[in-house]
Amino acid sequence: MTTAADTTVISTRALTKRYRDVLAVDGLGLDVRRGEVYGFLGRNGAGKTTTIRMLLGLIRPTSGEVSVLGQRIGPGETGVFGRVGFLVESASAYPNLTVRENLEIQRRLTGAPASAVAGVIEQLRLSEYADRRAGRLSLGNKQRLSLARAILHKPDVLVLDEPANALDPAGIVEIRDLLRTLADERGVTVFMSSHILAEVAHLADRIGIINDGRLLEELDREELQAKARAYVEVRVPGDPARAEVLLRDAGFAHMERDPDEPGTLRIPESADRVAEIARVLVGAGLELTGLTQSHEDLETYFLRLTGGVR
Amino acid sequence: MTFARVLSTEFLKLRRSKVTWGSLAGLSMGPLGIALFMWIVREPGRAAQLGLLGTKADLSGISATWPSFLSMMTLIVGVGGLLLLAFIVAYVFGREYAEGTAKNMLALPVGREWFVVAKLVVAAVWWLILVVAVLVEALVIGLALGLPGFSAGLAASAVGNALLAAGIAYLLVPVVAWITILGRGYMPPLAFAIATLGLGDLFTHTGWAPWFPYSIVPLLIGMVGKPVASLPLGSLVVLALTFAAGVTAAILQVRHADNTQ
Repeated sequence: MTTAADTTVISTRALTKRYRDVLAVDGLGLDVRRGEVYGFLGRNGAGKTTTIRMLLGLIRPTSGEVSVLGQRIGPGETGVFGRVGFLVESASAYPNLTVRENLEIQRRLTGAPASAVAGVIEQLRLSEYADRRAGRLSLGNKQRLSLARAILHKPDVLVLDEPANALDPAGIVEIRDLLRTLADERGVTVFMSSHILAEVAHLADRIGIINDGRLLEELDREELQAKARAYVEVRVPGDPARAEVLLRDAGFAHMERDPDEPGTLRIPESADRVAEIARVLVGAGLELTGLTQSHEDLETYFLRLTGGVR
Repeated sequence: MTFARVLSTEFLKLRRSKVTWGSLAGLSMGPLGIALFMWIVREPGRAAQLGLLGTKADLSGISATWPSFLSMMTLIVGVGGLLLLAFIVAYVFGREYAEGTAKNMLALPVGREWFVVAKLVVAAVWWLILVVAVLVEALVIGLALGLPGFSAGLAASAVGNALLAAGIAYLLVPVVAWITILGRGYMPPLAFAIATLGLGDLFTHTGWAPWFPYSIVPLLIGMVGKPVASLPLGSLVVLALTFAAGVTAAILQVRHADNTQ
């Protein structure tokens, strides 16, 4: 029988990092399972990159612990990193070396076979730039090079910090497909951070939302979609108070007034009762100037969770 | 095996680097400068006509001979060792921070200490090539100038002294490597190299010079006064300790310090 411990690939326990008076990560507990794409979502400065650095042993936790593939990460740990590919924060490469040479360095250091460089160049569509110096690449292609470096040695775990940075929309879709394929077909575990909810929502099997260094919520994709509430919005500029009373009498218990538009009512969890809403309001002789069925934008949900627009 | 792989990548990183050629160009200016000096000493009248000799220039004590030429060559290799070699080490280590690649080296199936050792080996090979190239250049220029007083023994002794100064200078650079890693860039090690050059010069005027690592090369090459014939055992111990301390500090820094690049 497979236990949770068998399938947990990345695990953090009470992980904390403090820089003098700044608490960057506060008691973080995460479990990322084998073969899943875990989206680590948060605003800029929420603690995503600090967490990723601790996962990779680039910085030491103030307290708590990290393990990857069952190996506790500490100073001097090397064995596990042959099975981990990573991209931290910004794309970087040796500017005087070509794309091919930059990847050759990674190949030698990870002990990957000689054919790995050509393979990954093709996989990341870098063939056209293979002999171009990295210093002359566009930001998007530099990002591709960094992603190529991360996957070159066919790692079991990918830790990617904002992998879609600097990519154009087509590039974002392409990388999303690549990561999905790696997870689905090769069982690669992907831990990716992002501050763009839509990007994570499209790709991740599970999402952790971090704010001010603390994990606010952890949910799977279906739960996220469900959280993004469906609602019906009606516009009754003549008498919104009466409309509210009528709808309450008809069994619509929860309603919200839009403070910016006093004639608008928002009725959550009512998408399947649109016709009934219309019948109640028009039947009572109210002037109904608008009726729309909507979903709360995922961004709105994220903002609501993390404290609104700052 | 692991170290061989790391070392090969460190040499690969130098490909198309302008700094390697720049360092060669920089050091090779030294013998050309000495040659110009020798010519001025030999032809003060023509030099004055060309504006190369100031009215207040004091060239007493300098003669256009092989002994004088070779002692200046040793001086250049020694000072080059204290400054240019520090620049090389600052580049080899500091570029990883300047180019944002340091973080890529720290989560690999390779011990971080191997990067420190490999970079120090690269700096040693680079420095050795520079020194040999410049010594050959200097000897060729000296022969072309037709200076009097040449002997194979004199040249061999001067070359031996220059190589010794270059080697001793190398023992001091792991500390520069540590400061580069600590400061994550070029400026701290360069400031350190310039400061220790000044301090080393200052200490040569005191009785502590043989015990202060940065004064030992100036003592040996005669940066101030006459070059010493041999170094006391204590100086060698100080140099060995400085080397060991630098290597240890650099390795501990790269293994244990937070990398927030």
